[in-house]
Amino acid sequence: MEATVANDEAARNTHTGAGQAGSATPRVSIAVDDTRRSRTLNVKAAVDNLSFYYGQHRALKNLTIPIAERQVTALIGPSGCGKSTFLRCFNRMHDLQPDTRYEGSITLHPDNLNLIGAGVDPIEVRMRIGMVFQKPNPFPKSVFENVAYGLRLRGLRNRAALAEEVEKALRGSALWDEVKDRLQDSALALSGGQMQRLCIARALATTPEILLFDEPTSALDPIATAKIEELISTLRDQVTVLIVTHNMQQAARVSDYTAFMYLGELIEFDEAAKIFTNPAKKATEDYITGRYG
Amino acid sequence: MQSDPMEGHTAKAFDGALTQLRLHTVGMGGLVIDQVSTAVRALLDADASLAQTVLSRELQVNEMERAVDREAFELIALHQPVAGDLRMATAVSRITVELERAGDESKKIARFASRMASGEPQGPVRAVARYLQHMAELTSGMLRDAVRALDESDSDLADQVRARDSELDAEFAAALRQLLTLAMQDQRYLGVTIDTVFALKGLERIGDHAKNIAEQVVFVASGRDLRHSKKISA
Repeated sequence: MEATVANDEAARNTHTGAGQAGSATPRVSIAVDDTRRSRTLNVKAAVDNLSFYYGQHRALKNLTIPIAERQVTALIGPSGCGKSTFLRCFNRMHDLQPDTRYEGSITLHPDNLNLIGAGVDPIEVRMRIGMVFQKPNPFPKSVFENVAYGLRLRGLRNRAALAEEVEKALRGSALWDEVKDRLQDSALALSGGQMQRLCIARALATTPEILLFDEPTSALDPIATAKIEELISTLRDQVTVLIVTHNMQQAARVSDYTAFMYLGELIEFDEAAKIFTNPAKKATEDYITGRYG
Repeated sequence: MQSDPMEGHTAKAFDGALTQLRLHTVGMGGLVIDQVSTAVRALLDADASLAQTVLSRELQVNEMERAVDREAFELIALHQPVAGDLRMATAVSRITVELERAGDESKKIARFASRMASGEPQGPVRAVARYLQHMAELTSGMLRDAVRALDESDSDLADQVRARDSELDAEFAAALRQLLTLAMQDQRYLGVTIDTVFALKGLERIGDHAKNIAEQVVFVASGRDLRHSKKISA
């Protein structure tokens, strides 16, 4: 199965086997040119021919993108291009809106679960795919309770086990040292950057397979932004990351792969280093160099 | 198809900064081209005054290298260019080094011309005058076209410059054979003969610098890095 991805150079990115019931996890190969080494990676989620409709409006048009496991994939594009719509398909956020529908598939590996399949429970999907939003949105509860919430939902009741998992998640989001002495304080008393890392800890606590970030630093100052970016870099060791950002430099800094979208279509998908030094498409070049509008 | 590297940015200040960067590089190129042809003319005519002109303008070439390189550095820091814009900024930094080195070769030829003007024997230079003249025309032409290719974002012209380097190498080899014959026949002028070899080698090196500039023009246009790739024939 060809999965490239709006790239007319001979099959730079191919991915095989997606969606074949019972097959091993498909892998994605990034072909080499004279300056780049080849890398073959597991596909964590295979987006195949995905379209999404708000009523009659087709917001996403036949997107096919391999999301590589334990890598950071960034989605860039002008406002209204569909990147947030695309991100929200992964944890079925659109289900909350009436008169919307999906076409195509997003196959989560290794168990080949179609995330947008009609019979698939969105709650199950959200257990496996966490999300961090633009504006930090901690619950009006203590720091501890914010992180413990998802664990309790999953049935974890043992106090010691809860404390252990909460600490693990807070350490994972690089927040532990700053809050270990105030776990019972209100989460709303934290700074904006700390709140955002708390939201990341809350998402990490339930050990998601994919973590979605929707403009996670647009409300933060440069230092808090740098901490979140550093955190995203370290998170790739344990989770697959998909990030939407308006900040091109941020996409260049944090992502391994970058997808440029325009008017609901995927224009170009490639390694971030390729996209930001020598994109194949003029539209991509125009956008990242600031020649739009 | 690439966008013109200079124009069309939403931020017009960025357009302006890139345009200035290219203009200043092309300006430096113009001065270096003149340095090459003036130095060779000074040598062929044993003209001290022309040689002095080249030597006095060498400082200007060095200052231009510093200024353009600083401009490229600041553009990267202030505008954080990517893709074609980034390739232009990095290419300009490399091109200024090539131009400055071409200027250095001209300076060495001008110093030799000064010595010729003050009475050193002219036999060896006369023996290869035709080659010196032809190599000077070739190198100046290559430099001129390389700089024009940069100015007009013309990678076809840049490819032509790269192809012409072989012709220059062949001329250099032929001139060297001529000088060797002369040295074997008459060893009185060995010192001047060696200086003449250096002058010819300097012109051959200037051709290499022009070829390197042409490679950078191709890099800006397409992202292809041709450095250390095999020579292409005309």
